Amino acid sequence: MEKVNPMQADPSPVARPKKAEPWKQVSISAVASIVLASTLPIGIGLLSMVLGLRFEIALLTVFLPTQLLLGVLAGRKISGRRGQADAILQVFVVFFAMTVVVLLVSVVWSVIERGSAALSWQFITQNNVYISGSTSLEYGGLGHAIIGTLLVVALSTIVTVPLGIATAIYLTETRGRTRSTIRTLIQALSGLPSVVAGLFIYAMFIASGLTQYVGWAGSLALIPLMLPTVTRVAEESLLLVPQELRNGALALGSSAWRAFYLVTMPAAKSGLITAILLGIARIIGETAPLLITTFAANNTNYNLFSGSIATLPTYLYTYIASNFDTAVQRAWGAALVILILVAILFIAARLLTRPKAAKKAGK
Amino acid sequence: MTELIAQDVNVWFGQRHVLKDVNLLFPEREVTALIGPSGCGKSTFIRTLNRMHELIDSAGLAGRVLLDGTDIYDAGVDPVEVRLRVGMVFQKPNPFPTMSIKENVLSGLKLANRKNDDPNGLVETSLRRASMWSEVKDRLNDPALSLSGGQQQRLCIARSLAMDPDVLLMDEPCSALDPGSTRRIEETILELKEEMTIVIVTHNMQQAQRVASRTAFFLAEDGNPGQVVEFGDTEQVFNQPVDLRTNDYVNGHFG
Repeated sequence: MEKVNPMQADPSPVARPKKAEPWKQVSISAVASIVLASTLPIGIGLLSMVLGLRFEIALLTVFLPTQLLLGVLAGRKISGRRGQADAILQVFVVFFAMTVVVLLVSVVWSVIERGSAALSWQFITQNNVYISGSTSLEYGGLGHAIIGTLLVVALSTIVTVPLGIATAIYLTETRGRTRSTIRTLIQALSGLPSVVAGLFIYAMFIASGLTQYVGWAGSLALIPLMLPTVTRVAEESLLLVPQELRNGALALGSSAWRAFYLVTMPAAKSGLITAILLGIARIIGETAPLLITTFAANNTNYNLFSGSIATLPTYLYTYIASNFDTAVQRAWGAALVILILVAILFIAARLLTRPKAAKKAGK
Repeated sequence: MTELIAQDVNVWFGQRHVLKDVNLLFPEREVTALIGPSGCGKSTFIRTLNRMHELIDSAGLAGRVLLDGTDIYDAGVDPVEVRLRVGMVFQKPNPFPTMSIKENVLSGLKLANRKNDDPNGLVETSLRRASMWSEVKDRLNDPALSLSGGQQQRLCIARSLAMDPDVLLMDEPCSALDPGSTRRIEETILELKEEMTIVIVTHNMQQAQRVASRTAFFLAEDGNPGQVVEFGDTEQVFNQPVDLRTNDYVNGHFG
């Protein structure tokens, strides 16, 4: 047998032919039918609108059936029965995916469009004292509500994160007897309507006369809403850590706690951070439980333990139903600020969880 | 130097009896191989020797495992102490992914909350004993997962050796590795046996003959619990087995 020397260049290399991808070759008639099948329905749909049909009706009764029919015909021509089934699925999947994308973009866009009119430095720094629905947008703002939201959410987070992660640890790392019960309860908790959580706190602390409307009551009402999210995401991320790693640590003579702290937790770090951020995102826009616990306020209140406190959702709520245009604009502005806060959170999450992977890729 | 003795070890998972009356003696400074077809309880048995067995939910056990004369299942014995003296290498390499090569070698100290005056020296000695020092000495701070599968497995061996165990248990340490890496690990085993007791589970008969001075053949027949069919010098188990079933197995007639 001839020995192959890898250092020696092949004396007669074969140049790559232009069509070295036989799996990508499509006949001209196939291309033509694809082009036809993807443009004709749009044309027919537009035509039916010109003839007086409403957009929604043209979309559903003219465009979609034509697109299905032509897609099926084209699919059948190119690859027979298989192409036919493929075309039906493709048409439906793309159609509904586009519907969802359009809905999502239009929601975000309408908030940005109407909210940006209200947005200004003064709007996000000043408070709402002496401001009413008819006051011009040049005065007042929701700075007090941003502070309120951050404070209320921070207190909830400080309580919920240790509790939620400890629960997740109990569910995944121990062999406790009540694991399945706890898991069921957490699942049940995630179905709890937020207003019920608020009412419970209201009945217990405020209606009973123990306290007035106050920030900490709002934080308390948000805890049962945040807890299931944090627990379940943390549990999932801990379950993703292979059992072999825990065994490896234990076999080295580690206590269960140190094995968790030094091996399992670092391996699940990005998932745990995601759990915290998803938990915060879950409660940052809650309105109902806050209306009946923190109430609304016009002044800036830094104290969670005395007096009612404004939050972004309650600020939005107080202005949205007004007859004045400026008031409605303030509400849209508040919606935009909430969106921005959540966006900042998610970007921060990405940055916090990425470095390790980036470091690895850099090497 | 330490001798390990299993006396009448019986194992259950739930109500299912999976190992019956295992009596084995692992002499010091010797390698003992555990062979047998899949599902005969070898891996289960080896996990009873450092109390990793009890980490499985439905596990049950009867019998004694004597480490230097003390039953490791005695009420007063801390499983963590047992695992410090009886190290274990698993079938699949399991270096800690968040740590560097160096940190992996030192992870045992950290996990067991022990101090060492000369960590760098310990890293070098351990990696040398696992015969991989020359390969990694310039990249000790690289992530452990940047190593090849065979290197990862030797890193796991080095990690165990850093704890200076008296006994080393190896559960099919080469089954996920290529022949080259397998050879290096076998060389390591032969060097290590000068200093410790080694028990190795393997599916590879040649490997058992190359590294082990004594061999135990496990077999579970027709849904019966696994048992030790034959136990003796490797030479004898492979060449003049007493039991017909051993003869069939080592000559490749079944399993």
